Amino acid sequence: MRHTRRRSLRELIAEDLDTMPLMNLFVALIPMLLISAVFLNVTVIDMDGPAADAPDAAADAGPGLEIAVTGEAYTVRGRGLPPVRIARAGEEPQKLLAAALAEAAGRHPGNHEVTVVSLPDTRYDEIIAVMDIARGAGLPGVALRGAR
Amino acid sequence: MRMRHGRRRTKAGRRQTTLRMTSMMDILTVLLLFLLKSFVVEGEVITPVPGVDLPESTSDGRPADSVVVAVFDDTIMLDGQAVGTIADALAGADPVIAPLAVRLDETRARGAEISRRRGDEDAFRGRVSIQGDRAIPFALLERVMFTCSHSGYADISLAVIGVS
Repeated sequence: MRHTRRRSLRELIAEDLDTMPLMNLFVALIPMLLISAVFLNVTVIDMDGPAADAPDAAADAGPGLEIAVTGEAYTVRGRGLPPVRIARAGEEPQKLLAAALAEAAGRHPGNHEVTVVSLPDTRYDEIIAVMDIARGAGLPGVALRGAR
Repeated sequence: MRMRHGRRRTKAGRRQTTLRMTSMMDILTVLLLFLLKSFVVEGEVITPVPGVDLPESTSDGRPADSVVVAVFDDTIMLDGQAVGTIADALAGADPVIAPLAVRLDETRARGAEISRRRGDEDAFRGRVSIQGDRAIPFALLERVMFTCSHSGYADISLAVIGVS
C-alpha cells in the first residue's frame, strides 16, 4: 500500500504542466497588443486662447511679461522690468533665458502668464522650446503673438 | 547484427523528450505585462498623423477628445482629410484659412447636431488639437490657430512628443 502511494506521488511531481493553452493565448494576445500599442508618448500643451470675438481683457492686466524670439536673441521685457537681451549665439542661452524668466516671475509672484512674441519665420520647435523654458521658470500660462 | 542495431535505435527513438518551455514562457509573460502596461494610460490617446514630425517638449498634459488639425510638408489636414495647402494658406493678407474654416464649421455643425440628438446641447467643447511639424513657421501656426478660434474652436492644444 505504501509502495503504491509513493509511486503515484513521484509520478505526480514528475508530470509537466500543460502549458499549451497558455501558449495559445499568448500567441494570440501578443500580436494583437503589439499592433495596437502606442510607443510614442504624445502629450499636449494647452493654449486656452480667447475666442476671436472676445475682448482682449487680460492685455492690460499684470506685468505683461513677454519673450521676443528672433534669430539673434531672446529679449525678456515687461512693465516695470528692464529689458534683458540674451544673445542666442552666446553660451547656454536657454539657461540665461530661464534665469531671466525666473527673476521676472519672482518679482511678480501672482503672475503665471507670459507671451512669446515670434517673427513670421520663427520655427515651431523654437517656440515650443521657449514655452518649455517659461514653464520651467514658473510661468505655465503661455500665449503666442506675432511681432508687430 | 543488423537486427540488434535496429532494436537499439528503436529503443532510443521511444525515449520521450519534452520541449523546455519555461524560458519562452518567461519572455512571453514579460512581453505581455509590458504591453498591457502601455495600455494603462489616462485620457485620450493621440496617434501622430503619418508624416508629421512633432516637436519634443517637457509638457505632460494629457490629450482630450478633440478635432485634429495636422500641418506638415505642404498639407493641412482636418481629422485625416486634406483641406488645403500651406502655400495657399500663407497667400493673401486674410489670417483666416478659408478652406479650413469651412471644414471646421461643417465639423462644428455636425457635432452640434449629434449633441442635440443626444439631448446634450452643451456637449460641444470647441476643442482642437494642432499637430504641427516642427519646421513650420510661426506665420502658418498663427493663421491655423486664428482660423480655429474664428470657427469656435477656442480650446486649442498643441500636440508634442513628451520627453522627461
